[in-house]
Amino acid sequence: MIRHSVMVGWADAPVKRYVDDARLQLSVLMHPSGQVLAQHGFQRKLDVQTACALSAAINATAVQLGLLIDGAPFTDLHYAGTLRQLYLAQIPIATGTLVLLSVFDEESSLGIVQLYLDELRSTLATTAPAEQPDSPPALAEDFERELNTNLAALFGRG
Amino acid sequence: MSLVNYATREITCKIVYYGPGRSGKTTNLHYIYGQVPGDRKGQMVSLATQTDRTLFFDFLPIDLGTISGFTTRFQLYTVPGQVYYQTTRKLVLQGADGVVFVADSQARQLEENIESMQDLHANLAEQGVDARTMPLVIQYNKQDLPSEMVTSVVELDEALNFRGVPSFAADALHGPGVFETLRGISEQVLRRLSTGSQGR
Repeated sequence: MIRHSVMVGWADAPVKRYVDDARLQLSVLMHPSGQVLAQHGFQRKLDVQTACALSAAINATAVQLGLLIDGAPFTDLHYAGTLRQLYLAQIPIATGTLVLLSVFDEESSLGIVQLYLDELRSTLATTAPAEQPDSPPALAEDFERELNTNLAALFGRG
Repeated sequence: MSLVNYATREITCKIVYYGPGRSGKTTNLHYIYGQVPGDRKGQMVSLATQTDRTLFFDFLPIDLGTISGFTTRFQLYTVPGQVYYQTTRKLVLQGADGVVFVADSQARQLEENIESMQDLHANLAEQGVDARTMPLVIQYNKQDLPSEMVTSVVELDEALNFRGVPSFAADALHGPGVFETLRGISEQVLRRLSTGSQGR
């Protein structure tokens, strides 16, 4: 199903509070297809997209691997590095399941992350819209001129 | 699933380069990566095998600039073309806003092209997507090879382009056709955003 998801900021505040409470370095909430919904900690938006693409791939792989081995998806993954730890979790909402990447160091711990993650799950379950609103047109109909100018500039043809 | 953020005036779209193994999907992204200025692209990620065949996907985020007042970003993905990576292709195809089908113009690859196109339609259908509404362009890559080795664009169109979508001859290794292909799919994907169509 292809939809144009209109972001209304319902995820921003809960994720920000989760980052503060769990003392995280980075956190990104994303759609399983790799589209970012909310993030805190990344400086560069293009890096967020890469993190989402890779996290979505890990999540998709874990789901399939779990189904193969256990008959049920592996939903939460934990990597305990020496300096940084990573926790990848699924967050069910009314319209499907989201994926959350959390990165933390010695300022936090797995227990703290899981504690506040449960809180975030409860919050998002109530704040996430039950249905996607109808998408109004986002771009002006004469967008082609700007598209062509931007693409030409991007490829050094401007 | 295009993401439109009215608060920050940002649009993000996912475009998947699909096609049989060794048709040149990764080569397209490499060429784009090489042409786009550093401040307009993210890191190109390739999850590949030791022999450089795509194992999971290649990924390249690019910043298209401002269109109708929206900062517009494209996430370019490739899928692994080899038949046995079916599960991976389905995962990468999930949530795609547009597809570039990269066909291998070599005459001996015609059957693989047709099978891959059928595979694309089957995977879209499995995800509940009507393939007729999915923005799609076809690139006939490797048209630079000697004419006796390649199938002509007209013949390839007859074999693959039953929807009559925009098609482009290309030599992805050296660049001809790569830009035109990206422009073609960009127009189609953004046109949907300009009409507000859901495309389900």
